Amino acid sequence: MFAGTYVAQQILNGVVLGSMYALLALGMTVVYGILHLINFAHGALVTAGAFTFFGIYMVLGWPFSLALAATLLVGGVLGYLLDLVGYRKLRGGPEVALLITSLGIYILLENLIKLLATPQPYAFRPPAFLGQLQNVGGVTFRTVDVFIVVVSVLIMIAFALFVKRTKLGIAMRATAESVEAAKLVGINVNQVVAMAFMLGSAVAAITGFMWGAKYGQIAYDMGFMAGVKAFVAIVIGGIGSIPGAMIGGFILGLVETLAVGFLPPGFAEYRDAIVFTLLILVLLLKPTGIMGRKEAV
Amino acid sequence: MRRWASLPGEVKFLISVGVLFLVLFVANSTLNRYVLHVITLIGIYSIATTSLNLTNGYTGLFSLGHAGFMAVGAYVTTLLTFPVRLRIAYNLPLLPPFLGGPDYHWPFLPALIAGGLVAAVAALLVGAPVLRLRGHYLSVASLGFMVIIATLAKGLKGLTRGAAGIQAIPHYTNIWWVYAWLVVTIYVIWRLLNSSYGRAMLAIRESETAAQSQGIHPMRYKLLSFVIGAFFAGIAGGLYAHFARSIRPYEFSFSMTFLIVIMLIIGGAGTLLGPVVGTAIVVALKYVLKPVEEGLGVYGLVEIVYALMLIGVMLWRPEGIVGGVNPLKFLFPKKGGKRNAGVSHGEAHGP
Amino acid sequence: MLEVEHIHVYYGVIPALLDVSLSVDEGQIVALVGANGAGKSTTLKTIAGVIRPREGQIRFQDQDITRLGADRRVRLGIALVPEGRQIFSTLSVKENLVLGAYHRRDQEVKKDLEWVYNLFPILRERMHQVAGTMSGGEQQMLAFGRALMSRPKLLLLDEPSLGLAPLVVRDIYEVIQKIREAGITIFLVEQNVNMAMRVADYMYVMEAGQLKMEGVPQEVMRDEDIKQAYLGG
Repeated sequence: MFAGTYVAQQILNGVVLGSMYALLALGMTVVYGILHLINFAHGALVTAGAFTFFGIYMVLGWPFSLALAATLLVGGVLGYLLDLVGYRKLRGGPEVALLITSLGIYILLENLIKLLATPQPYAFRPPAFLGQLQNVGGVTFRTVDVFIVVVSVLIMIAFALFVKRTKLGIAMRATAESVEAAKLVGINVNQVVAMAFMLGSAVAAITGFMWGAKYGQIAYDMGFMAGVKAFVAIVIGGIGSIPGAMIGGFILGLVETLAVGFLPPGFAEYRDAIVFTLLILVLLLKPTGIMGRKEAV
Repeated sequence: MRRWASLPGEVKFLISVGVLFLVLFVANSTLNRYVLHVITLIGIYSIATTSLNLTNGYTGLFSLGHAGFMAVGAYVTTLLTFPVRLRIAYNLPLLPPFLGGPDYHWPFLPALIAGGLVAAVAALLVGAPVLRLRGHYLSVASLGFMVIIATLAKGLKGLTRGAAGIQAIPHYTNIWWVYAWLVVTIYVIWRLLNSSYGRAMLAIRESETAAQSQGIHPMRYKLLSFVIGAFFAGIAGGLYAHFARSIRPYEFSFSMTFLIVIMLIIGGAGTLLGPVVGTAIVVALKYVLKPVEEGLGVYGLVEIVYALMLIGVMLWRPEGIVGGVNPLKFLFPKKGGKRNAGVSHGEAHGP
Repeated sequence: MLEVEHIHVYYGVIPALLDVSLSVDEGQIVALVGANGAGKSTTLKTIAGVIRPREGQIRFQDQDITRLGADRRVRLGIALVPEGRQIFSTLSVKENLVLGAYHRRDQEVKKDLEWVYNLFPILRERMHQVAGTMSGGEQQMLAFGRALMSRPKLLLLDEPSLGLAPLVVRDIYEVIQKIREAGITIFLVEQNVNMAMRVADYMYVMEAGQLKMEGVPQEVMRDEDIKQAYLGG
């Protein structure tokens, strides 16, 4: 059971899951860095993205790339609206207020999707080329797995370039460090925050597509745990650090997959509990996470 | 009106309780079973919400794990009161000798209290590590513990029958039990708040560092409020189990936690009656809207309304419906709180 | 250029500034001096838009800016070098400077960057260094340079000499002179009255949130009380 190929298989699965968590963590930390908001609604954007793709590709029958683009767009717009309507008013207030509101927004979005799409899960059939089975040295995977990892890495690279090289990206990093100092150099904080939301939400939406493509099924409640686990990933990797969020995502994906893969079978249902135990351990032992900066826990 | 206000608190309390039970008596004799059912449910949830109020509203610890303690209370109470012959039929364990032996099952009241106590102990164990965290770290960590408890309930099949849950629980809960316990809960919290413990808790809510500099050990008081809150949550869980007559692990998960949080915030955290008002509104709303939901086939309508109410309250009236008498400077200050750490931890950069 | 009219500023219920009125003309260097805690920083922050006055008005180039946010004021040409510098410690020196020009749409940013590097050669040396690892004096110069990058018309300096070695202070004040020659109006607050006196065209003295005296530095310093408080002992 612990043969080389089994281990390799688990690691592969862990990397794929980790890529998705890393993307989610990235999207979440962009907003968290500036607003100190754990956006529970982030999970709803995953669901929204998945359903948008479903609607456009499977129901309307539009081409694949167009459906992807639409998914990104819908994610971005939703993110912008969330900021505008839900959070802007509460900025500057206590973090807990933002958290409660984000919970409310999550419940709203999840149930709106449930209402529009019925509570039943939907079969998610991405383009055939993604479903092709591959076998390398005894390890089986499908093209979609490669797609997920490659696209995730591309997005992360693009993002890293964005925050390093572009004016807006640098402004985002600056605002994340200090909103007040950012204002002193003339940065329009509202604009920067809106951008952060849009980017993070678009990434969440595309992750929703990936999730559906990998697991073959989407449901109105698929996003919640993903959203919460994204926060766990951020904590593990280090609050306030963008590379940390991504590292945290990969670690979380690997730990979750390997734990389920190597513990006795009955433990598979404990996967969520394992994730949270990891969170609590990190919070107690090394609250700043792996790459963490100083933020009081 | 003036004469009322000038009466000592205890007397006012007793009179209110008397009036309450008079009303309940009339209601019990006249109203139909369905309405009584709803009223009882409101009472049960009120206990849960009020107990959460102690931790969240008054001490400012935003715990999202309350449903976990309800689960503990529900399961413990049930496992103690379950009739012997049914245990064998349902594959539930018989009681060990020190708990009365295989031929025994507990009467309701002691079982309830036991459920509450076990929940309190769980809170002590969970609280010691988790309460050292602040703000949303606390929230997510407590959420995590709730997931862990729910997963355990699913996993320890020999004890809890796993995901299938326990059914055919004896119907012990009635309107008197529930409201008697609600009165007790409110009384305990009221007395606590008006004591030195209560003042310490409020001080911690306002600013932990300031409280520390006054010689208050935050951890002690945080734990106290967390544990007492959990005790009554356990009671609520036990009452719920013997009311709904069936419990499953997934019932005590996110949905229930959010439900209680919504009831608390809408009613008004940090006020004594806010939780009850919020609970009444939310539960009543459910019973009014459910038929609409089913009739029109719009599943999720009830939750959408709840969510809109929560968001609305957060944006425009964060003190809740009852609030405003005791402005909640911690949870919901007027705009202008410091950005970098949230109001109460403004100066603090330590745990 | 700048008119501050009867502003009252409160921190919660505590009064910080009471009925303060002052003005700065284009091309001047105006100094606001006073002891620690007199309210000098508060005055600057209010002009910069970080703090809002409860009463009173602030006019910049005949425009009422009292209700405008700090970032809007930057775009109008007011830049603050704050006490405590407030540089972006996780960003490099160059990134900090470039951010100073964030709101600018013109093509001259590179030119100004050169100019700042010439004023503060140490910044050119440390161009790619992470700002948080520099010394206090270097960070002060960075904050200064960053403010200059926004091509301000009015530069607000909060305690430019605070915590700096005397040699560094002298350098900073040389830079202040050079900036004035470049046409930038300067309003600075200082505890170090000596240095302030040497560059200022006009001076205000503040005590406990209120203005005690104003005038040309030589006249102000002739007043016996002032001499005692700030120059004597």
